[in-house]
Order: sequence, then C-alpha cells, then structure tokens
Amino acid sequence: MTVPEPQHPVTGLDDVVHQRVRLGILTIAHEARRVEFVYLRTQLGLTAGNLSQHLAVLETAGLVEVEKGYEGKRGRTWVSLTAAGNTALAEEITRLKQLIARVETTAGQ
Amino acid sequence: MTSDTVPAAGDPRRLLAEVRGFAHRVRLTQRVTWLPLLVLALVTFGAIPAYMLGRPVTRDCYSVEGGEICKIWEPAADLYWLVALVVAYVVIARVYLRVARGRGVDARVLPYVLTGVAFSVVMFVLIGVGAGVWFVRDAEDLLHPSTSIEVLFRLLTPVGGIGIALLVLAWLERNVALLLFTLGYLAVILVPINFGWGVHWGGHLQGVTALIIVGGVLLLGSAGFGLAQRLRRAR
Repeated sequence: MTVPEPQHPVTGLDDVVHQRVRLGILTIAHEARRVEFVYLRTQLGLTAGNLSQHLAVLETAGLVEVEKGYEGKRGRTWVSLTAAGNTALAEEITRLKQLIARVETTAGQ
Repeated sequence: MTSDTVPAAGDPRRLLAEVRGFAHRVRLTQRVTWLPLLVLALVTFGAIPAYMLGRPVTRDCYSVEGGEICKIWEPAADLYWLVALVVAYVVIARVYLRVARGRGVDARVLPYVLTGVAFSVVMFVLIGVGAGVWFVRDAEDLLHPSTSIEVLFRLLTPVGGIGIALLVLAWLERNVALLLFTLGYLAVILVPINFGWGVHWGGHLQGVTALIIVGGVLLLGSAGFGLAQRLRRAR
C-alpha cells in the first residue's frame, strides 16, 4: 500500500481569498465585526471603485455581507463577514503559516 | 482591478505580517479606553455621599470567643453601587459603540459590560445575604482573617469588580497598557493605602479615603489613556 504524499499547502489556497486586498478586507471585517466602507478604503489605500469590485467578488463568493443604510442624511455602507468568510479567513491563515513553515524547513535542509 | 496573487516564496510572510498589521490597527481604532475609566471614576466618587449619609445596619449578631460577629448591610451604599454600576455599564456600552462606529468599526465591548453587570449583581446579593461566613471554615476566623481571605474580601467589593471587569476589557482589546493599568489598580485595592487620611473620621467613614484614592486612580487613568489616544490620532 502506498502512503499518499501530504498535500502541498499551495494547492489548498483559495484564489478568492489568497489576494492581498481581499485578505485585508476579510481580516479587517473579522477584527472589527462590522466595518464601514470608508474605513476599509482608507486602511487599504484603494479607490472607491476598486474596493467595490473586490467587495463584489467576496460577496458573490458568500464571504461577506454588504449592508447599506443612512445615518442622518449620510449614506453608510457596512461590511461584515459571513460564517463562510470566517472559515475561509481562518483556513487561509493556517495555509499561509504552513507555507512559511514548509519554506523554512526546505531552506534549512 | 488589481489582482496581486502571491507567487513568491517570501510573500506569505509579508501577507501574514500585513494581516497582523491590519488587525492591530483595527484594535487601536476600536479603543475608547478613557470612557469606562472616566464613568467608573465618577461612579466611585458618587459612592462617597452614599457612605456618608447612609448608616450601616447590623443583624444576626452572635458572640464568639474574642468578640462578636454580625452581618453588616449598608442599604444606601449597597443599593447605590448596584444601580450606579448597572447604569454605568449600560452607558459605557452605548457610548463605546457609538464612538467606535463613528470611526467606522464595531467594538467588542459586550463581554466586558456583561462581566461588570454580572459582578455588580452577584456582589449585591453576596453582601445582602451576609455571605462572608461562607468563605471561612469557622466564623471566628472573620475576627482575624488570613491574608488570602483578606485579599478575597477586598476583591469581592464593587471597586474590586471594576478591576476584574477591566481585565476582561484588556483581554478583549489585547490592550497591554490597560492590562498594566488594571494590575496597578488592583494592587491599590488589595494593598490599601490611606496616607493617614480619615483615621480620625471614625467608623465606616474611613472607607471614604479608599474611595477617593480609587476614584483618583481611575480618573488619572482616564486622563492618561485619553491623552495617549489623542496624541496617537494626531500623528
């Protein structure tokens, strides 16, 4: 019987999450529980249009929920993680750590 | 649309560092540490008139070798602490969330507020039923309590509860500065200092000195955290 070789962490990476800006959105939304669009834009250094496109990708994948509302006369958009988004973020971080460990092990040999 | 996927081996480390940086910045944005310290300082100072105007009620007294043991209940002060602390935690929760949301993020303040309210209610019940004897083997031990029992009794007070709830807030916010402040605050409660004030005031009013010191520590903490936050946001 042959023992299957352990899967390389790179093969498990999710293309939707494994991207600098989208990983940033997920991290900020996770830590903040709910985050406002303008805060995200400022922290990530993006234009409104660029951020909207990334949010659309995450929303289509079911990883974030976007909620639009008003505070007085001012429109505000809030972003929060779904349960799937929380799981995806946790898995991505685990894989990144595995990848780093693997690179360090290989470099040490 | 940018799509900086990560091809290089060195990039996972950079990505993880960025993730940690984002998380840290959100936590800094969420903090309104000066607020609970200010509100709780005011509540502590507010307890002073309750102690000065109220009178302690003793009941269920019985003699033991070397003295007498009674259940002591200070209706005005004990009711003040219960109502004032519950109201204070509700105010803290509402204002904390409002300030954090004004900055564009939500805040994890609910476990802190629930701990504070729960501790206040439990303290009120314990004092009301005279639960001191539950913590010692023989009632006579209350006349000359051991150090551990003295520490426990100082901790199981409204001002001790404020410190325990602040430990929860420090953990929720991963706030090392608040943790250090709270440990200092708890040290002030556990090792009471009175600078000789109030020694001639007599009876239960000697406790007022401790309230002035504890309230002063909270007020100074609030000013310090408020100033630090203002300086950080100005940068």
